[in-house]
Amino acid sequence: MKDLKHIHFYEQLLDEANNDLVRKEKAEGKIAVGYTCYYVPEVLLNVGDAFSVRLRAPRTGSLDISQYYMTAFICGYSRALFERAFEGGYNFLDYWCSSETCQQMNRVVENVDHLKLVANAKFGHGIIDAPLKVSEHGLKHYMTQIKTEILEPLHEKYGVDISDESIRRAVKEHNEMCKIFEEISELRKEKNPRITPREMHILSLVSYACPTAQILPYLKETLEDLRSREADPENKWRARLIVVGSELDDYSFSEIMESCRAYVVADRYCFGTIPGRQCIPLKDDEPALEQVCKYYLDTNACPRFMSQEKVHARHEELLRYAEEYHADGIVYEQAKFCDFWGYEKLIGTAYLKEKTNLPMTSVDREYVISGSGQLMTRIQAFVESIGIKKIQKNRGANNG
Amino acid sequence: MAKYFGGCDVGSTYGKCVILDESGKIVGNATVRSKINPVETANMALAEAISMVPGLESAKDLTYLVGTGYGRNKVPFADENISEISCHAMGVHVTDPSVTGIIDIGGQDVKGIAVDSDGTVKNFAMNDKCAAGTGKFFEAMARAFELSLDEFCRLSLTAKNVIPITAQCAVFAESEVISLVGEGKPREEIAAGLQVSIAKRCFVMAKKAGTDGNITLTGGCAKNEGLKKAIEQVLRIKVVELKTDPQLMGALGAAEYARQMGM
Repeated sequence: MKDLKHIHFYEQLLDEANNDLVRKEKAEGKIAVGYTCYYVPEVLLNVGDAFSVRLRAPRTGSLDISQYYMTAFICGYSRALFERAFEGGYNFLDYWCSSETCQQMNRVVENVDHLKLVANAKFGHGIIDAPLKVSEHGLKHYMTQIKTEILEPLHEKYGVDISDESIRRAVKEHNEMCKIFEEISELRKEKNPRITPREMHILSLVSYACPTAQILPYLKETLEDLRSREADPENKWRARLIVVGSELDDYSFSEIMESCRAYVVADRYCFGTIPGRQCIPLKDDEPALEQVCKYYLDTNACPRFMSQEKVHARHEELLRYAEEYHADGIVYEQAKFCDFWGYEKLIGTAYLKEKTNLPMTSVDREYVISGSGQLMTRIQAFVESIGIKKIQKNRGANNG
Repeated sequence: MAKYFGGCDVGSTYGKCVILDESGKIVGNATVRSKINPVETANMALAEAISMVPGLESAKDLTYLVGTGYGRNKVPFADENISEISCHAMGVHVTDPSVTGIIDIGGQDVKGIAVDSDGTVKNFAMNDKCAAGTGKFFEAMARAFELSLDEFCRLSLTAKNVIPITAQCAVFAESEVISLVGEGKPREEIAAGLQVSIAKRCFVMAKKAGTDGNITLTGGCAKNEGLKKAIEQVLRIKVVELKTDPQLMGALGAAEYARQMGM
């Protein structure tokens, strides 16, 4: 296939957290708000003059300094963010929103604050106490936390407009982007899809790592290009897989999948498209903030939610995706030392094995994925076990 | 004209090559010490295997060839590459279809593989933490004992007792071994302790993969008699002996896949 429009530009954008589009937005006097988690509603960080940047640490090398401050038994993502902050990589940030989602990430933000690692006199941070259950009380608490830890500080420190109207404008822009992803996601259902897993991963990552207003025009052009794009005549994919798991912002993972001829039909990991790239419905006669908060609680698929209905819903959702996207198998990927996903993959695989014959595998991985030969061997063996069985089944059918 | 099919397994320590005829019979094979450049390893292994088959002069004379092993992407003459996990399963299946579980102990990793009735992989597990339980580990231990690898592998067979080794890390285990030797502990009992500690690692991989029934060992370490005995004790099984060199199973599986694709 010919190169997707803007793909090389997107790759460049992903080389730095403080990328060209972030710098452009900052030059216009906008307020950069970093965040790491779905519990912090992205759309609410894009109100008024604020813009969201989901934090990554591209080109991470040694993690020795973060290991000194945070021990080795912390997930690579947390340590990489700390290390990058220590290196001065987040000096462009005005505010850092975090959530009590995991203690590891909390330690990052607290250390960054304590050691004054962000060289910006006005830098501030807020940590929300996110509820563990979806309930009326939980929603009320969640809203209060978001107001006091995110919206009000942004308004008081930086004069950001946090009115109902401003939130609605942010949702409108967010939905514009989500519509693009909804249309692209449909293309993944094609038998011989015209978009590769690597390209999809890159598109998803830039949409999180760049200011929405800045990236939107590019994404629109990419979608236009995709509409008329034709897939290579030969369908090279051996297996269609759903990937679910921990935070994953290194598209080398998708490159490994591609090299093993695995097509990722649906992805549910932080920085992925499910949830996060679906339109947020808003009613005119109810407060926007409450609707947004409720939407984020309802759609949150983080394994930190351990109530039975959420656990069950996550598994059922996977089965639904499998049917909808014609998947041949499921891959659980877990960042090492990610507590929540360690648990989720165990009960998830056990539950799904009872419910379905879909092949499943789980892989542990580091934050930096490129060059992981063992990961490639695992994925390749899994894909082969599906692909070879398919070939043998077809041969059997033809002979019979 | 007769057709021949090749499988080339470029491992971290040894490169192996197997050539099959149309009936699936092994007509050529080779095992060479790996070079730092996997392309060179593949070339050497293939040249040696081909020299055993009259009428074959180069890779071009093979109908189809599959590369496998950690250097599978670097086999210059391969028509395709398949992971060593799939290839070991197929290699064992064509050697002995009654085997349903494999513990593959290679130069740099350990794998447990559950094999389906058609020779495909049902499930697998592999260590990826460190060199513990791999050929590299045994090489380091043999060095610590100032023995050849073969001598070290047989050392534990004469042990009356087993001295437990707590460290599985190759570096720390070497220090522990040196301390125990310094304390005057019987060397064969220390060696037995090392074999048991690795057998326990193999136990975990075999269980994680869900292997049951007839289990065999593959990879270079399958020839380690001390380890085999320890695995039989720890897993409470009788390891199935393969009639073909267990180190060749990856290359044999690759060649069998080549045969299936090229026929």
